[in-house]
Amino acid sequence: MTTQETPKACPAAEHPPACTAPASADPAASATKTTRRDFLKAGGMLSLSSLMGTAALMAQTDDAHAAAEWAEHFQKNYRLMTDAEKAEARTRLEKRYSAEYGKPVSVDTTGPQPGMLMGYALNIRKCIGCRRCVHACVEENNQSRGPRPGEKIEWIQVLRMERGKFEQEKMNQGYPEGLGIQVGGNAYTPAGAVLEGQYHYNPEKVPEADATYMPIACMQCEKPPCVKVCPVRTTYREADGPVVIDYNWCIGCKMCMNACPYWARRFNLTTPVLPKEEMNPVTHYLGNRPRMRGVVEKCHWCLQRTRHGRYPACVEVCPVGARKFGNLLDPESEVSLILARKNVFRLKAELNTFPKFFYFYD
Amino acid sequence: MHQLISFTSDYTRYVLKGGTKFYAWMGSLSVLILAMFYVFYLQNTDGLIVTGMTSQISDGLYLANLVFLVGVAAGAVTIVFPAYVYHHEGMHKVAVLGEMLAISAVIMVMVFVFAHMGRPDRLWHMIPPRGIYSFSSMLGWDVMVLNGYLVLNAICGFYYLWCKYTGNPVNRKWFIPLVYVAIAWALSIHTVTAFLMANNPARPMWFHSMMPIRFIATAFAAGPALIILIFLVIRKNTSFWVDDSAIKLLTTIVQFCLGIAIFLTLSEVVVELYARTEHANGLYYLMFGLHGLTGLVPWFWSSVVLMVGAFVMLFMPSFRNDFNKLQIPCAMAFAGIWIEKGMGLIVPGYIPSPIGEVTEYHPSFVEWLLTLGIWAFGFFILTILLKGAIGILLGEVKYGGQAAAAK
Amino acid sequence: MKKLAIYTMALALCGSAIYAVSAAQTAAAPAQEAAPPAEPAQEAAKEAAPKEPLVCFESRKGASEITQKEIKPGLPNVKCSPTTGAALWYGDPYDGTVPMGKMPGLENIPEGHAVIKPRSEKLALMPMCGTACHNGVGPNANPPTLPKDKRAKPNPTMEAMVPDLANLQHGRGRVWCMDCHHLTQRNKLVDNFGDPVSFDQPQLLCGKCHGDKLRDWRDGIHGKRIGEFVSTGKKRWFTCTECHNPHNVQDGERNRGFVQLQPEPSPQLPRGMKDAKHEKLHPIPH
Repeated sequence: MTTQETPKACPAAEHPPACTAPASADPAASATKTTRRDFLKAGGMLSLSSLMGTAALMAQTDDAHAAAEWAEHFQKNYRLMTDAEKAEARTRLEKRYSAEYGKPVSVDTTGPQPGMLMGYALNIRKCIGCRRCVHACVEENNQSRGPRPGEKIEWIQVLRMERGKFEQEKMNQGYPEGLGIQVGGNAYTPAGAVLEGQYHYNPEKVPEADATYMPIACMQCEKPPCVKVCPVRTTYREADGPVVIDYNWCIGCKMCMNACPYWARRFNLTTPVLPKEEMNPVTHYLGNRPRMRGVVEKCHWCLQRTRHGRYPACVEVCPVGARKFGNLLDPESEVSLILARKNVFRLKAELNTFPKFFYFYD
Repeated sequence: MHQLISFTSDYTRYVLKGGTKFYAWMGSLSVLILAMFYVFYLQNTDGLIVTGMTSQISDGLYLANLVFLVGVAAGAVTIVFPAYVYHHEGMHKVAVLGEMLAISAVIMVMVFVFAHMGRPDRLWHMIPPRGIYSFSSMLGWDVMVLNGYLVLNAICGFYYLWCKYTGNPVNRKWFIPLVYVAIAWALSIHTVTAFLMANNPARPMWFHSMMPIRFIATAFAAGPALIILIFLVIRKNTSFWVDDSAIKLLTTIVQFCLGIAIFLTLSEVVVELYARTEHANGLYYLMFGLHGLTGLVPWFWSSVVLMVGAFVMLFMPSFRNDFNKLQIPCAMAFAGIWIEKGMGLIVPGYIPSPIGEVTEYHPSFVEWLLTLGIWAFGFFILTILLKGAIGILLGEVKYGGQAAAAK
Repeated sequence: MKKLAIYTMALALCGSAIYAVSAAQTAAAPAQEAAPPAEPAQEAAKEAAPKEPLVCFESRKGASEITQKEIKPGLPNVKCSPTTGAALWYGDPYDGTVPMGKMPGLENIPEGHAVIKPRSEKLALMPMCGTACHNGVGPNANPPTLPKDKRAKPNPTMEAMVPDLANLQHGRGRVWCMDCHHLTQRNKLVDNFGDPVSFDQPQLLCGKCHGDKLRDWRDGIHGKRIGEFVSTGKKRWFTCTECHNPHNVQDGERNRGFVQLQPEPSPQLPRGMKDAKHEKLHPIPH
């Protein structure tokens, strides 16, 4: 058992203020005071929108919860917070989550480690389409799992693609088509068609003889188009590679969802449905901490794990070992060795997004 | 200072007075506005799950109306431009009405921005100094140019009305340059909105450089079409007389721009469907359906019929010169472009998704209600602004004079 | 003003009529493939029998398994799929592991940083092999006399354990039992020098022929490792036989290295979609 798995009061040594929170003062209450004062100072910011949100928050009966949310409402963009502010935000969240989910919840704020550039490789020949990665991701990352359409969020999509079959019988079909244009009878055989197929396949057993599978999730681009379009810079690339979101700063404009060529981003249409007993209490601020209504979320390569050296959840459950993860700066890592030895490709490389997610085959 | 107070009170008193028809119109709009607030409440408690939007189709009616209304706002320049650049006499008289339309359209756009956001309570995040403004984001630019356009039109429009009210001459030294800036700015708002969609290589349906000019062309057809309709209503219901020459010029503009819009649509169809690459899937879904799903096909073809029909009608002198019949092609052009830019452009951009998943968009009832409510809100503001402006232009509201009762 | 109102109303009516039709269509057909009906039943079963320890299989069914237990309040060592019974999430990646032992090419890994799950525990008959039958007693025992054609002689006891014994799929008839199993110590495998190899280290045996795979496995490219991803970190290595059935690697006619298994549930249908049948159609009718 590794240490990072345990919810702790003070896991990150670089943020001592979090551990020395005064026992006498309620941190949530003090946070409220300061932020309210700051807020009033910037009186010009008092927009109709803030008033609306405030009114909604004040209508809540649970005082502690409301105070925490009130304070969260006015906190800064995570990247601009000082260490003390980060620690404060983290204590506030840990308190609120622990009360909400009935168990000690830790919110990690560990930053990028030097010498680390995370990379991912997926052996597309091995994937059997069992979707275990999809559900491991849900277990790990506290996605919404309600019954209403739109309440169930999965970050990984597995595409089933036809192998295709060329047939003698089809030779005389489809020629000529339309305006006498030459089209071979086997023209519409989907062999080798990338990104065309089924996402809702559900056979008794996988892999099927006539299909190949291609899991797709966030590619953690080096040149991410989603980051470029964000009007509030709430989504950004961390120094060790993953593209993350400060959920508290996201305004839900969904521009990033328009910009992502891999459909990696999901929108919380409503307050996420996350049963207490299924909630993963080991969280990261930029990672799998419970999200709120109206914000965008996406794969972050299990930051709460990978920042502490642990494999992402999807890698660990892949029954065929198709998923590989490692440090691209370490020539001995499995991903570096794959890049050195195997044939790899990047999905939609023509868009110059430079993913750090590589598909390869033996 | 005294003038300002009396302006405000005269203006307010004038716009609040009206006949039964006026109150019935404003009352029915108010009902829809109340519905709008209810849906806003739903969206900000239950979330956008009450709409038809999904993670696959992450924007629908709201963004569609937003884009369309930016066009209507920009379309107001079709009055201001001939009035101030070519000194068109008929247009000059009504230029301020165009500015009022622009103001209400931009306000509607802003409300639609609120409507489509997941967290409107966090809008302040994009306003410095406490928020962060991103120069790399097209949405940031869009919000900036829209606000600028709103301010420019409010200044130009109300300064002009102010001068009329007080009887002072307009200070041309800064007023005329400001009007020229506003004219250029009108183009910028729709261009930036076009970039907002077009700058996404992830969405091949939008990713082409024809978007800005297509946006402008459709805007300059839909905007004046609405203005013609409004002018005809004004002529009928108030003692303010809009010159035939102004309406005729607008008709010509509608027709030319509609022709260009149809031409650009046809060009896109030919270019995309000749090769029929995977990138044409969105357009193909729109025109014929994909995987047997045909949700948008009726929308597209009704838009084609409306636009082409209006274009042909405007060629006929019987429609062009008869201001009773002119309303038909104008309404058709307006509706056709509303569909073309909304259900016909925004929604198919999401179908199929960038990784090839085909899903359909069904706007929910509350989504329609909110859309209708925001339009009602816009028309509410527009009615007030136009009424006040007309009162001042007619001289019924005048500094030192008795505030006359509106008809 | 009236006319404008009429146009606006007409536009609204058109829109609402179209909406009503589409909404009626949506409502008409109940969601067939939407929510997996099994879910509530499984939840009920979970609540009804909390005493039964939950065991889930790891890579393939019939190989290594893991028993669920709580390692911290509210934090299990593993989460299992209610649909398929597969391990879905590891809280403790090193549950039930032992050090891998000496492995050529992996000498640089610090002590205890490479662990495996012992295979021998899973092989129920293994302790008996060397005592019950292959105990050095009997006519062919010592020194063993082997058939010249290297074909296994059908034997009811052995066939019960390895059904396709007479027609061994591994190697398509070019390999037989004694190429892998030790001649005299039947609870061991055998390496190139005839020395015994533990069942916990099948890679030493498999690598005899599949050298390229062994090399990739050693570098973490082939097969699977869980735990810490950094190259110096502690990892649990999955050995060859945890994923592949050694007697029938190709899975018969399928000719794939991995057996078929039941997939986890498909994603939720987005709002407004009745089913996903359209996915099976070609985009354009022709």
